[in-house]
Amino acid sequence: MNGLYIGSFAHALGAQKRHIRESAEAGLLRSAPEDLEAAGFRWHHVCEPDDTAYDLARAAVAEIAARGDLTDVDAIVYATCLPGGEAGSGPVRDVKDLMDFPAGRLQAEFGMSRAIVVGLHQQACTGALGALRVAGALLTTEPGWRRVLCVTADRFPVGAWYEQAYNLISDGAAACVVGRDPDVCRLLTVHQITNGGLGRAGDDETVGTYFAYTHRLVRETAARVGLTPAELDWVVTQNTHEKAWQILARLLELDHARVWAPTLADVGHVISADVIANLSALLDSGRARPGQRIALPMAGFGLNWQCAVLEVVGR
Amino acid sequence: MTTLITGADGYLGQRIAAALRGEDLILAVRCADETELDRKRARLARVADAPVVPVDLRDADPFAHVDPRQITRIVHAAAVIRFDVSHDTASRVNVAGTARVREFAHRCDRLDQLMLLSTLYSAGRRRGEVRETRHDDAGFVNHYEWSKWAAEECLLDPPGLPVTVARLPTVIAEDTTGAVGQYNAFHHTMRLYHSGLLTLLPGDPATPLSLATAEFTVDAVTALLTAPPGIYQVCPGPVTLGTAIDTAFAVFEQDPSFLRRMLPRPIPCDRASFHDMAQAAQRLRGGPLQPALASVTPFAEQLYLPKHFRTDRLRAAWHGYRAQNATALVEAACTDLIERSFRVTEDRSATAT
Repeated sequence: MNGLYIGSFAHALGAQKRHIRESAEAGLLRSAPEDLEAAGFRWHHVCEPDDTAYDLARAAVAEIAARGDLTDVDAIVYATCLPGGEAGSGPVRDVKDLMDFPAGRLQAEFGMSRAIVVGLHQQACTGALGALRVAGALLTTEPGWRRVLCVTADRFPVGAWYEQAYNLISDGAAACVVGRDPDVCRLLTVHQITNGGLGRAGDDETVGTYFAYTHRLVRETAARVGLTPAELDWVVTQNTHEKAWQILARLLELDHARVWAPTLADVGHVISADVIANLSALLDSGRARPGQRIALPMAGFGLNWQCAVLEVVGR
Repeated sequence: MTTLITGADGYLGQRIAAALRGEDLILAVRCADETELDRKRARLARVADAPVVPVDLRDADPFAHVDPRQITRIVHAAAVIRFDVSHDTASRVNVAGTARVREFAHRCDRLDQLMLLSTLYSAGRRRGEVRETRHDDAGFVNHYEWSKWAAEECLLDPPGLPVTVARLPTVIAEDTTGAVGQYNAFHHTMRLYHSGLLTLLPGDPATPLSLATAEFTVDAVTALLTAPPGIYQVCPGPVTLGTAIDTAFAVFEQDPSFLRRMLPRPIPCDRASFHDMAQAAQRLRGGPLQPALASVTPFAEQLYLPKHFRTDRLRAAWHGYRAQNATALVEAACTDLIERSFRVTEDRSATAT
């Protein structure tokens, strides 16, 4: 991925901020709240009943537009775990009712008239990184293109458990732009592993395989940019059990002080958006220096694992 | 010559009784009431033609039903054999129970031998070469190990009884065919790996494991019944942890359903990481990981404490000793687990859903 940059990070969360105990009382969790608290979770964000995943996506993209960064977009890559949209009840006569085009709606709403749209929904919680990879591939194959908007958004249906694989879930969206012009970070690589044999894995298998696959993922991704895991300056993770990365840091022989997930207690796991929220927090903190390399490892159902490596440029 | 076997209805107790069939035996079993005693008598009648008496080592006089004058040998096999046993239970059954066997042995005027079935892991936290001698307290990984060490000490100090301590290996199969007769930490761990519930490997891959068949172990016990009293380590020839796992996965990978799931081989992890993972798993609601890990975790720390068990005394006393191919045994046991247990369980799960 030579000559590609990434920036304009933004995210949006469900409007209702709830404490884990409140959600437990409302029957939205499967685990006991004290068990999730022991994992580091405290708060999460749930949409208002009438809000949709598209509303979240629009809010994230609007933040980018407000900064004036939504110009010259050639493509929109839209990733979601739950592509079903808001289908009504009752028999379907016209299958168009089942179709949903959130990327097209973004294009129209934000006046990105020359942008084409691409959808990703097979990568679960890793879709945000899949979007970066597709963006990189599009820019490589389309020499005339300059900027690709990457968006991810998910909103759980009303009544669903806000817990998956022992993680507290928030409704949310994230967006960023991959382009040819110098930006906050250079996009060095994105690596993916898929094990379809575990496509229907339950929560315990998902947790059970997490360590071996994430270990492999980070090693292989670091190797793609000529590094060992220990040479990564930062590892910005999804919001998951806080012990998980204490263990992985030891296995990967990297300093746990360089593992960054400061939004764990405040937002929980936002499907594919919490890594972007954590990355924004790192960049805003000023602790990431130009030249430093940041790994973004993510795991998702399917089962999928993806990891990107960025290099801080500063702007 | 009459041999009293405590824990005669246990996994090894039954097999020792069967091996001594034809000799005068008294089979001591623990039972809650007459109904359970009758059930155990019926089961043991298939093993040996011998009287079955109720003995609960937690009672003040557990051998009230046994005439000490006729006893010439005692094989003390009764014990709680679980790595996650509580200190209280281990103390009451394995230590205080052995003290009661010792008291009874002192009343047996014709006693030639009192054999304690102990464990190689009575060595506790020590590393390196382990001799067939009394152990001092090197600390223990779990209460089970401690209790077996304390039981050894209970019989060996003070001297005076004709005590044999047989420190036994981990039995993973009936014989070299690999048929699994009883689950323990080995089998629970293999199930976790086969099902994809665990991808961390606690321990140093170079740590030797002492895995054996029931056949080898019972042959050793019966051979030692005619050997001079003393301490013997029943170790059939080790296999390293890393080789055992590689062998198990080579077997698993012959299984199409396992192959389809493309499960990774586990990665070795340090002690703190495994401890953290096990601690976190305790809070995962009601899944299969928690109970399976409960049997593995209390033993896992031993896998960081490599030991090389000397068997000089065993080999001198047991002329039929033959080192076993532990790698082949792991292969056979894992094959059996897949064919008769793991695959059956998976099929049942599939049917249920």
